[in-house]
Amino acid sequence: MVLVRDMPAVGRGFIERLEPPDIKNFYWTKPSPKNSRKVAVISTAAVSKRGDRPFSWLARDHRVIGKNDRDLVMTHVAVEYDRTAWQLDLNTILPLDRLDEMAKDNEIGSVAEKHYTFMGAADPRDMEKSALEVSSEMKKEAVDTVFLVPV
Amino acid sequence: MCGLAHIFESQGFSTVLVGFVKEHIEIIKPPRALWLNFPMGRPLGKPNNPEFQKKVIRTAFDLLEKSSGPVLDDFSEIIPVREGRMSYALPVSLVYKVNQLGNIDKLAERVQMELSNLLPDYFKALQNVGRTTVGASELEISDFVPFISEFAKGNKPKSPRKGLPAIPLLKLVVEDLNAVYTETRIYKDKIDDFEMLGKWFWEETHAGKLLLAVEAVSLESNDQVLRQIASMSLLTPRFWSEGPLPGISGSGWT
Repeated sequence: MVLVRDMPAVGRGFIERLEPPDIKNFYWTKPSPKNSRKVAVISTAAVSKRGDRPFSWLARDHRVIGKNDRDLVMTHVAVEYDRTAWQLDLNTILPLDRLDEMAKDNEIGSVAEKHYTFMGAADPRDMEKSALEVSSEMKKEAVDTVFLVPV
Repeated sequence: MCGLAHIFESQGFSTVLVGFVKEHIEIIKPPRALWLNFPMGRPLGKPNNPEFQKKVIRTAFDLLEKSSGPVLDDFSEIIPVREGRMSYALPVSLVYKVNQLGNIDKLAERVQMELSNLLPDYFKALQNVGRTTVGASELEISDFVPFISEFAKGNKPKSPRKGLPAIPLLKLVVEDLNAVYTETRIYKDKIDDFEMLGKWFWEETHAGKLLLAVEAVSLESNDQVLRQIASMSLLTPRFWSEGPLPGISGSGWT
């Protein structure tokens, strides 16, 4: 994405007015060795399995995507981003096939069984409760590496 | 997304993110971040290009080898956009007033005909590609135009979907209708050009005109939610326009 100063007026104005969260503490978790990492994807594209409850416009909750789920729909509130890319190829927003290939090639250890999606339009401060629930689920399956992918 | 990185890192996970708004990454300082100068909507860059996608992942995961942070790197490749915009944007001049709309029933008939002509290729695409993004609304495709048309006529139909009110459903039906059109063109003409697909759908099809009619009616509606989603460009793509909708400040986001 271009720098904010290079954006057209409407989008630039909106993004400039967004208030970033005030992060009080900085945490740093030492990564596992490369070929033993278990990776889960966190996406803010508000995609979910067909038939799941749609995300509300400022949803604070999350949906779970299984490692092999490919029949997904998107209920993101915003229309300011290109949706044709994910129509062409789901991996453009949720790279589960690519991670699977990398696991088979021993570039990473393994791919988690569960991945998680949020509504990117919501304030991250409001997502904390849900993020802690996701953390608990990821710990249950020994995920150690989280790949965060916006839309 | 940067805020979520801090939460997950605090819970004992090593996080790495790819991100679009560099200025926000610099302020929020997630532990490890790779800035992508790509259009929004395609964080892995290029559809159906596994090697490019893996290059993005590998470059991001290389940040996991750093011994301290926060660390922010730029991805070496740029996917250029037109005039700084991240997606297609309607021309500022293309705005209808309610008194310009004409007969909505006739327009709806033209949309139904146009849609009928597209559907054989849409279903061929579905069969060959093996997936569709259409369906968030859970309405049948044949019900899209009648439902949307009611709003264009100034009515607010009852939602046929339990648990989802009519206006949030309208948004999903609008996106489903758009996706039927674009998925069909992508398949039929082998296009990966969101500017071209956006211009075609919004400026050249009857469906685009019907949705602009819904926008016009919504902007003058007594229903606050409908008025708000139209003015916030949540029905029509105006976020990357050079100027806001007439009479509205900053795309309605202020």
